[in-house]
Amino acid sequence: MSALSTGASTTSAGAAERTRQEQEDSVNETGEAAPTRADCVADSAGGLTFHISDWVRPQPGSYDDWSGALVLIRRGSVGSGDSEVRLPLGPIGDGRLQAALPSTVALPEGRWDVHVAYGEEEPQRLAPGLNDLRSLVDRRPGPSTSPLSVRIPYATKHGNLSLRSWRRAPHAEAGEIRLEEGAMAVHGRLHRVRDPAQWLDGAVLEARCRRDRDRLRTVPVTAEGAEFFCTLPFAELAGDWDGEREVWDLRLRSADAEQPSVRLARILDDVPDKKEIFTYPSTELTAPHGPVRVRPYYTRDNDLSVRVEAPA
Amino acid sequence: MTCPRGTSRIRGRRERMHISFLIHNAYGIGGTIRTTYNLARTLGEQHDVEIVSVFRHRDQPIFDPGPHVRLSHLVDIRKGSPTYDGADPDHARPAKVFPSSEGRYKQYSALTDRRIAEHLRQLEADVVVGTRPGLNVHIAREARRGPVRVGQEHLTLSTHSRGLKRALRGVYPRLDAVTTVTEADARTYRGQMRLPGVRIEAVPNSVPEPGLEPADGTGKWVVAAGRLAPVKRYDLLIRAFAKVSAARPDWRLRIYGGGAQHDALRALIDELGLYNHVFLMGPANPLDPEWAKGSIAAVTSSLESFGMTIVEAMRCGLPVVSTDCPHGPAEIIDNGVDGRLVPSGDADAVAGALLDLINNDELRQQMGQAALKDAARFDPSRVAGRYDSLFADLVARSGLRGTLHRARGGLLSGALVTKDSLRKVRPA
Repeated sequence: MSALSTGASTTSAGAAERTRQEQEDSVNETGEAAPTRADCVADSAGGLTFHISDWVRPQPGSYDDWSGALVLIRRGSVGSGDSEVRLPLGPIGDGRLQAALPSTVALPEGRWDVHVAYGEEEPQRLAPGLNDLRSLVDRRPGPSTSPLSVRIPYATKHGNLSLRSWRRAPHAEAGEIRLEEGAMAVHGRLHRVRDPAQWLDGAVLEARCRRDRDRLRTVPVTAEGAEFFCTLPFAELAGDWDGEREVWDLRLRSADAEQPSVRLARILDDVPDKKEIFTYPSTELTAPHGPVRVRPYYTRDNDLSVRVEAPA
Repeated sequence: MTCPRGTSRIRGRRERMHISFLIHNAYGIGGTIRTTYNLARTLGEQHDVEIVSVFRHRDQPIFDPGPHVRLSHLVDIRKGSPTYDGADPDHARPAKVFPSSEGRYKQYSALTDRRIAEHLRQLEADVVVGTRPGLNVHIAREARRGPVRVGQEHLTLSTHSRGLKRALRGVYPRLDAVTTVTEADARTYRGQMRLPGVRIEAVPNSVPEPGLEPADGTGKWVVAAGRLAPVKRYDLLIRAFAKVSAARPDWRLRIYGGGAQHDALRALIDELGLYNHVFLMGPANPLDPEWAKGSIAAVTSSLESFGMTIVEAMRCGLPVVSTDCPHGPAEIIDNGVDGRLVPSGDADAVAGALLDLINNDELRQQMGQAALKDAARFDPSRVAGRYDSLFADLVARSGLRGTLHRARGGLLSGALVTKDSLRKVRPA
C-alpha cells in the first residue's frame, strides 16, 4: 500500500524522495540481521549455561560435521595465552543450541566477550537475551580449597554480551560496611582456605597506599568461624595526607607469614559493576594538612578501596 | 454494480487489517513504547502492522519489534546521520498542529507538523492509532479519509492541563474511538468530554509472559522499578524501608531505574543509614530477570495511569504492595488476595504491608501464586484480542459508512449528508 506514496503525494519531489528513502530504511531495518541473542542461566556453583533460540538449522545430513562453538575472548589480551575459550555448542531436545561453562573450567580474571562461531567461520558477537542470575544473588559458596569461580554475564555499553570473571583462592568477601565515628567497620567472610578460623586467628586488615606502597596501616581483625570483622579509623589514613588524592587498597593478612594476603572484594552476587551501586557516604575529618574527605568504594574490579581527598 | 471498497472488510473479524501506530519515539524506553511494541507484535501475527515513530534518535530500538512489525521514522535526530533532520530550519520553528498545551510540545516543530501531515495524508491503512494526545490531534485533523482513527490515552484525562483538555475537546469528536488504560479514566472521558459517536473503551496495557521461571519467593529482597521521578515517590518507599529494615535487617530493597531524582534518593539512603539495605540499581532491560530475584514488589507512586510494573511483577510471581493511588493499581491488584493496596503517601502503611508479607512466608507464597494466576488476564494475546475486536468493529462500521457515503448523492437526505461531511471536515 505504501508504494502509492510517490504517486499520491502532491508535495515536492524532495519529500517524495524522502518518503521513498524512509520506506527503504524501514525495509532494511526489518531485513537487517539483528545480532543473535543468547540467554544465560547461572547456577549457584558459578557455572553458566547459554542458550540460543534463534539459529538456522544446518541442511539435513550435515549434522555429522556440526561444529558450532561458543567462543569467549578475553578483552585486551589478543595474542597472549589464556585469551580464548571455546565451548562446544550443540542442539538440544527443545530445538535450542546449548553451551555450558562449568565452574571447573578455569577462566582467568577479566572481561570476556561472548561470540558464536560455526565451523571455520569468524566468531560473531552475541547480544544478551534473558540473563537468569537469581542463583547468584546472595551466593554462599560451600567449603572448598579450589579457586572460587565467579562469572557474571552483562550487557556492554554497546549492547553486546560479555562476562566478568573472577577466580580467587582464598577470597575475602566484603559484606556490610558501617561508617561511624570517623571509621569504617567492615564485616566479611573468608572463602577457600582449608581452615578459615585458623587463617584468621591473629590476622590484620592491611591498608596500603597505592601511590606510595611503603605507607602501610594495619588494624586487628576479629573472627567467628569464617566471618571476620575489623574497624579502620580514617585518621590512620589521613594522618600524613599531603593534599593529593590518594587511594588505599584493603587486604587481609594472616598471622602466618607463609600465607599470601587476600584482597577484600565484593563478588558473590549478580552485580557485575559495584562501583555505582554499592556506594557509601563520605566522612569529613580535619587532618594535619587540612580538611579531608574519606570514602570507601569499590574499584572497577569490585575490590574494596578507600579514597582520601580534599572536600569538593 | 462494482463491489464498494470496504465490503471485503465488513465480512468478518478474521480479515487481515493494516494497522499503523504513530508514536513519539519508538527508539526510546518507557511504558507507552513498551506496551505499543507488545501490542504491535501480537497484532502483527495476524495483521499487517507498522509502527511509525515521529523521532529517531538512535540506530536500533531498545525493544524488539519482532519479525512481523515494520518500523519507520519521520524525523531523524541522530547527530551525524546522513539523513539528519535536526538542522532543518523548520525544526526551529514552533509547531502549529501539535497542541502547545501538550507536554512534549517543545520537541515538536513546523517540521514535525509537516512530516506527520504528509505521513497521515498518504497513509493507506485500515486503522491508524495515535499513542499520545498531541499525535491523536494530528490524526483527528489530518488522517486521510478511510482509515479508522483511534486515539490512545496512556496517561489520564484528569492529569492533562485545562488547555490540553480544551484542545482535545475540539478535535477528538473526529476520532472513531478513544481508548484508555483504566475503566476509571474511561468514566472520566465519558463524563467530561462530549464525544458523540466516539467509542470510548478501556483496554489495559499488556504484559507478556516472562521467558523465565517465576520467583520462588525465598529471596529476601523487595524490588521496585520505574523512572526515578517525583511521582514515583521512591522517597516514601525508602522511608518505609527504614522501618522494615529496623524490624527485619535481613531483608533488602533494590530500586531499578534512572532519572533526575537519583542524587536526592542517594542522599536520603545515606542520611537514613540504609546504604547496606537499599540499592539504586540503575536502569535494567529486560526487567523480568530482576523481578525474579525478589519476593515482593513495591509501588509507592502518587499516580499511576496504569501500573505496568505492577503487572510485570505479578507475571513474575511477586505479590505487589502498592499505594492505592489513581488510577491503575486498584484495577490490577485484588487487595489481600494477590497483593496489597495501602493509602497513598503513608510510609507506615507501606512498611506495615511489606512486613506482613515478609513475616509470613506462607502468605507471601500464596499471594505470589495468586498474582501469577490473576495477571494472566494482561497477556498480549488477550489484550490484543480486545483491540482486534474493537478495530474490526470500527472498520466494519466505517466500511458501512463508506458505502453509504458513496451512495449518498442519490439516496440520502441533506441532513445526513451535512452531518457526515461535517464529520469528515479537514483543516485548511
